[in-house]
Amino acid sequence: MSAENSTGGLAIVDKYYQGYGSRARELKKQGKQIMGYLCAFTPVEIITAAGFVPFRIKGDVNEPITKADTEMETIVCPLVRSWFDMSLKGKYEFLDGLVISHACDSMARSKDIWKYTLGLPYFHFIDTSHAIDDSSLDFFVSILGTFRKSLGGFIGQEISDESLAQAIRVYNENRQRIWDLYELRKSDPPLLSGAEMTRVLVAAMGLPVQESIKLLEGVITEVKQRQPAVGAKLPRIMVVGAEVDDAAFIELIEDAGASVVTDDLCPGGREYRAFVKTEGDPVAAIAERYLRGIMCGRSYVEQKGTYPEYLEQRFGHIARAAKEYNVDGIVLYIYKYCDPFGFEVPAMKSYLEAQGIQVLYLEDEYSMSTVGRLRTRIQAFLEMLGTR
Amino acid sequence: MTEEKKPEERKKRRTATEAAASIGPMVKAMITDVQKAREEGKPIAFTFIACAYDEIIRAMDIVPSWVENYAGICGAKRDAQRFLERAESLNFSRSLCTYALCGLGFDSWREELGEMPPDAPWGGQVKPTVMLGSGQILCDPRNKWFQAAQHYMPDVPVYDVSLPYPAYADDYDFHETEGYYVKHIVEQLRGLIDFLEEQTGHKMDWARLEELVDLVDRTYDLIVDTYDLRRAIPTPMGTGDAMNTMVPIQFMMATQQAYDFFTNLNAELKDKIARKEGVIEDEKYRLIWGGGLPSWFALGDFNYFNSKGAVFPVETTYRTLESTRDFDIDLKKIKDPLEHIAWRWVKTWTYWYDKARKRPGSHPDVERLIQYIEDFKIDGIVMHEAFSCRSWHVGLIWQLNHLKKIYRDMPSLILESDIIDISSYNEADTRARIDAFIDTLEAVKDR
Ligand code: SF4
Ligand code: SF4
Repeated sequence: MSAENSTGGLAIVDKYYQGYGSRARELKKQGKQIMGYLCAFTPVEIITAAGFVPFRIKGDVNEPITKADTEMETIVCPLVRSWFDMSLKGKYEFLDGLVISHACDSMARSKDIWKYTLGLPYFHFIDTSHAIDDSSLDFFVSILGTFRKSLGGFIGQEISDESLAQAIRVYNENRQRIWDLYELRKSDPPLLSGAEMTRVLVAAMGLPVQESIKLLEGVITEVKQRQPAVGAKLPRIMVVGAEVDDAAFIELIEDAGASVVTDDLCPGGREYRAFVKTEGDPVAAIAERYLRGIMCGRSYVEQKGTYPEYLEQRFGHIARAAKEYNVDGIVLYIYKYCDPFGFEVPAMKSYLEAQGIQVLYLEDEYSMSTVGRLRTRIQAFLEMLGTR
Repeated sequence: MTEEKKPEERKKRRTATEAAASIGPMVKAMITDVQKAREEGKPIAFTFIACAYDEIIRAMDIVPSWVENYAGICGAKRDAQRFLERAESLNFSRSLCTYALCGLGFDSWREELGEMPPDAPWGGQVKPTVMLGSGQILCDPRNKWFQAAQHYMPDVPVYDVSLPYPAYADDYDFHETEGYYVKHIVEQLRGLIDFLEEQTGHKMDWARLEELVDLVDRTYDLIVDTYDLRRAIPTPMGTGDAMNTMVPIQFMMATQQAYDFFTNLNAELKDKIARKEGVIEDEKYRLIWGGGLPSWFALGDFNYFNSKGAVFPVETTYRTLESTRDFDIDLKKIKDPLEHIAWRWVKTWTYWYDKARKRPGSHPDVERLIQYIEDFKIDGIVMHEAFSCRSWHVGLIWQLNHLKKIYRDMPSLILESDIIDISSYNEADTRARIDAFIDTLEAVKDR
């Protein structure tokens, strides 16, 4: 059954969340080409414009990493190791290719491991610069031009401006639907739980964008029909971190007696905040959205003004989202071996605390066996918030 | 209190060359010079190795303070733990680059005290005027560390130079991309000069820059020639010494001192070769240090290898340069110094690409290993996986697997520890693994 001919958005979400990749496998059987990619920094518009279904590689916190270690060092962040482990175990055997963007060391330094070990028909590395100044943006436009040409070469046909413009429009629409759904979390209590939201986001990232939009619309309709819950109000939590593609951690927080109402995560608030401009050169517009729109620890924001102003530049959007969603506390959830986010912790924490927001910093390993250890600290944090 | 604890320093390592033995005092003088510069009010820049700005800072008379070097010194003196622990107490994960953690622990402590932390190794690392980070494919900490350091020194501005180089690819010809890489790098370097002029009041001396650019080309070529002398049997110099002679390569590039150092080393090696004087008398196994930064607190392990009849005539670590004479462009024709630096940067990092393309299924990193294995008559490979640095330590296992696939099987050993975090190191285990590796080498030789 495809997403199109089903009703009941959340039921389909569960199906695609549990059986992540099942829809791509079906489409592959129908003759579609599937292009795998890692992380939010891959411009899916270009992949879609080339006629592929972009498919985001996902890990599994319940699956012990057993195969990856024969090729990849354990000092790579556990998220990337899980992605690679799942890929090696044949979970994504339907892929026709893989695109990796230079998001961080764990991805960039492992790119050849992926490329040579999986041996897929197509592989491309996008050299995304850390800096986001004008010269870096020009450079990134050229980098994306090379990607466009390479992908065009693979399909034996140039990727047209029109198909790019069309892809930009649908992805923007997809982003809009996601924000519509985020809106429904503003009420107290929220109409949609954090764990549900994560499952929606994950299910959606494994679907063709048109189907994702349909799925989101179905979920929105369903959620809007819910009756606001009555009873004791729970602390409202925002989760901030790198990529969280498994609902286990969010469930852990909610099971401890809280509502996760927003986030700065991928997939999630960070990834979908920025839209691609619809006027001008499509590649330039895509470049700008990815380089400057996604406010991620992997990027280097040049300092303007004083140091406090600089902190505002880097983390202001998090504080604003916390306010908008009426958040009581932030959980800063960082993976071990993640340099981009790891080095931000003291500055980010002190900035947010200076805004009057309580912050709990947790380091984790992307594994159910370690997630459990965090429970006590989360409970203590929630208790502390409750007594304030 | 742990922060006050200062473990015993390690004994000085025995070197094979006079040149390597002279490095200690050179490094000490370098650190003292930065301290003096601070007293005299000269501009000081926190700098990273392999960032292509050596000539620029020298030509602008800005004093570099190499932060990786200072962390390495703390590690070599086995005195990094208290700084690492301090960084951890500030909420930096212990899994992050330990050079960065050591530096952050040190700088934050100094700023808090208003003076150097107690018993700071070699007088300590002074507060800089500016910090020059770099966004490049080499490592994330290069653009995160100084940003994080600013939290403890908010009045010290950071400039981040973007320094990419083309990736090795099959799906397009990387030569087609070189032009836009160079253009971008030139703009970045120009931005760096503007920043430095504004922050320090020092003006760029363009004539001096041109001289230094030429000096660096000549130094690169001289270093390659000098290291090639190590092909001799017995080899006159091993990787243990090269971990010392990396100092002029990484921290003194664009100085006459670096050039002179390698002139002397070149003469010393030729002299040893003429006298057939090797690192050890009876070379049984010639090994390549095929990847990974060393454990600075355990350089004595190189002597341990020597005691088992093993030598390292070559290493990939810290050979972040190639002979400019072998580039597929004539660098001398590029008169604009910034363009010259940019092309040198791109050509250095892509040096092995075309060679790799010639062998089916090959890859530049593996191709380089193969070339060294053949040129230096290598019997086995040793690598080190430092847990805290993804930059140089991810892909090592794969390289060994791939080498086996496209070339041949070879005895190999991956040691596991860290660059400066001694808590990750176990001497007895390490040596037992070295012993087992030597047994394998022996067995292969007997076959
Ligand atoms: S969690 Fe950190 S290290 Fe891992 S992929 Fe994301 S940014 Fe990279
Ligand atoms: S290369 Fe490795 S050791 Fe050096 S700064 Fe980067 S992460 Fe740290």
